[in-house]
Amino acid sequence: MRELVTGGAACAVPGSSSSSSNPLGALANAIIGSSSKTQERLQEIPTSTAAPSGSHFYSETNDHLSALPGSEFGNSLLQPHAQGSDFLSGFRSANQNGFADAWDEIQHQNQIPPHFDQFHGPRPAALPQPTLDGPPQRVLSSFLHSFVGSSHGSIPFRPTSLPLLGLSEGDKQCIRDRSSIMARHFFADKSEDFINAQVNALLSSLEIDSDARVKGPLPGRFQELEDYWNESQGMVRPGAPAVDGWITEYSQHRAAHGDPDAWAHSFEQQHGANGWASEFEKEQSQLTSIDQMRGVNIPNLEAMEQTRMLAHTLAQNNDPKFQNSKFLQFVSKMSRGELIIDDNQVKPAASGDWAAEYQQQYTGGPSWADEFAHNQLSHGPEQWVNEFSTEREQHGSVDDQWVNEFSKLHVDDWAEEFGQQVGENSADNWANAYDEFMNEQVAAKQRLDASRGVYVFSDMNPYVGWRLLGIAHAENDDDQQAIAAMMRAQEADPANLEVLLSLGVSHTNELEQAAALKYLYGWLRNHPKYGTLATPELSESLYYADVSRLFIEASQMFPEDADVHIVLGVLYNLSREYDKAIESFQTALKLRPHDYSLWNKLGATQANSVQSADAILAYQQALDLKPNYVRAWANMGISYANQGMYEESIRYYVRALAMNPKADNAWQYLRISLSSASRNDMLEACDSRNLDVLQKEFPL
Amino acid sequence: MANSTKLKSDALLELMKQHLTTDAGKQITKKIGLVYQINIAPKKIGFDEVTYVVDLKKGEVTKGSYEGGKPDATFSFKDDDFIKIATGKMNPQLAFMRGAMKVKGSLSAAQKFTPDIFPKPSKM
Repeated sequence: MRELVTGGAACAVPGSSSSSSNPLGALANAIIGSSSKTQERLQEIPTSTAAPSGSHFYSETNDHLSALPGSEFGNSLLQPHAQGSDFLSGFRSANQNGFADAWDEIQHQNQIPPHFDQFHGPRPAALPQPTLDGPPQRVLSSFLHSFVGSSHGSIPFRPTSLPLLGLSEGDKQCIRDRSSIMARHFFADKSEDFINAQVNALLSSLEIDSDARVKGPLPGRFQELEDYWNESQGMVRPGAPAVDGWITEYSQHRAAHGDPDAWAHSFEQQHGANGWASEFEKEQSQLTSIDQMRGVNIPNLEAMEQTRMLAHTLAQNNDPKFQNSKFLQFVSKMSRGELIIDDNQVKPAASGDWAAEYQQQYTGGPSWADEFAHNQLSHGPEQWVNEFSTEREQHGSVDDQWVNEFSKLHVDDWAEEFGQQVGENSADNWANAYDEFMNEQVAAKQRLDASRGVYVFSDMNPYVGWRLLGIAHAENDDDQQAIAAMMRAQEADPANLEVLLSLGVSHTNELEQAAALKYLYGWLRNHPKYGTLATPELSESLYYADVSRLFIEASQMFPEDADVHIVLGVLYNLSREYDKAIESFQTALKLRPHDYSLWNKLGATQANSVQSADAILAYQQALDLKPNYVRAWANMGISYANQGMYEESIRYYVRALAMNPKADNAWQYLRISLSSASRNDMLEACDSRNLDVLQKEFPL
Repeated sequence: MANSTKLKSDALLELMKQHLTTDAGKQITKKIGLVYQINIAPKKIGFDEVTYVVDLKKGEVTKGSYEGGKPDATFSFKDDDFIKIATGKMNPQLAFMRGAMKVKGSLSAAQKFTPDIFPKPSKM
């Protein structure tokens, strides 16, 4: 099981920073997520076997907690889930398991630590415990608190679960202050979070999801499971930054609504995520068996994490197209629903004393618990146990197969979805970058397997994903996005030379000289060979002349190092000394003739110094080495356009756009070329971004 | 910085200057045949402006005010907005209506001031 789980982590995508650290949580998500979802839905499906328990659950809680979001949210979920009935039918059979897990979780959270041991006994023994505190949502939230607390303090989770339950706002602030990589990621986005509050309601919910449910399998009655869990504790703890990140967002969220009602938020967020998950699962509704479902759930939730991370980047994208995209519409639909509920909940809950309410609910709990236990027993816990164990075995044995399936799912479905819903790259290109990333991840997984149980966080480091995403953006002719991605990569690894150079190049392309100079100087300073040349006082106030002098010195130190010639070439571009820049790039190309991006750099420099004919030859070299190099295709178009060969330029722009329809620059240039070539008849196709028409009209 | 200032537009106008020496540039000169003065402000129109003259009669780009009389049209931009207009990201008419571009002089001359007279910068 742990292998399965680590496998999941190894396959994680850029977003793995948050999710990979607690892969067991992903599995837990799958299980628990399904359970709470099922509960929600059962309420709406009278024919369902477990409907009685579901409705009881809610009527009870409503009695005691008229302000509880559960019932209202359940209703609000009705429409989104109504269409997922075939998915549901698959799940209905699974719901015993789901209930069981939810139940265990509830039990576990509200149990004072000394009592916990009881839950390791056979399942039926655990069931009748009349310790129910209320709806799992509330429990989950308190659970989440304690988890945050425990991960923060690096102490085992269980003993601290209850004592830390009532984390105050100040504690959260404290955690937030100490939060590391993940938290900084969120900080970087902070203003955007506010702007895109709706998007982030969902995003943060995904985060919560994984973290809140990490402990799902914990109360498992199987000794092995318990062992696995203990082992995985070590893996969960590196996830602390993710949790802290969540807390950051959470506090924000809270501040926005001025409501200290923690559980309501986590409840909504949890269900928001479930809704999303169900949407996603619907697409895979052919997989109806429980095992498959669970297997698939993990990629789903992984994908959710990844999408969330990527969406953080995209949140910075105010592009109207993105705003209108299907994905965002869905996201905002979800978050709007949440926000409404939030408002409803905020007022009554804020006035009431949380503790009192909690107590009330507690007293009401046992009857519900009996119901639940009864229901559960009637469905045969033994059966559940068997099912669960066989499932686990299967997972263990088909680990590799599962991983394969997982990666396939990711690369094809997920990347495609990313491309169309979110992506600023074409799906293919992104998938290429992703493939590359996958290879690294597979290597990472092998290492992980070798060092059993030791979590190699650096291999999962998100900077790899961000860096690759940044490169993909740059190659797809989108410097703004490339900068955004590279900034993330740089936060995670401030000394990475490749990242620093990319940032320097992208800022140069965007004509942002001061920023470009800063990163290029950073490259020098962090370089193992040339770092000594950099003087600390220079970093305060950068002057072009000083930086270029240092680089000339560096290039004389190691004339065989292509990298330093490349940076020097970029620097000369910055100062528009194109002849020197061309010379530098040509020197570098002698040392590294198969670097397609270097050929493109040479071409761009030649084009910018009005040597468009030479530039086209250089671009051709780049394209021979990398035929899907969107930037080089677009640059080709620019060079033809700048020579007044508009018809040719149109063909190259169209070719570039066919590979990356999100390359806004190319669309604008295409429009200019079309009007310059007096092809006003095609302007409409350009404005409506109708690539089919354009490709037919301007084949290359 | 030695031979570069803080404006992004400097790079573009430098490119324009060189572009006008090419065949394609000469065609633009022939087609337009007007003199534009462009005032570019780093942050706010009217403050710390840098003035360029894009002489599409002679095919020259020079820094400083026009000395050969009165330019056909004078434009004022913020640095970023000029880049957006010259690279086709922003429609000049829209920019004018939004107040991102101020125009003095002949409006018919101003209407010939379109993104396609500017060369496009290539990306590394």
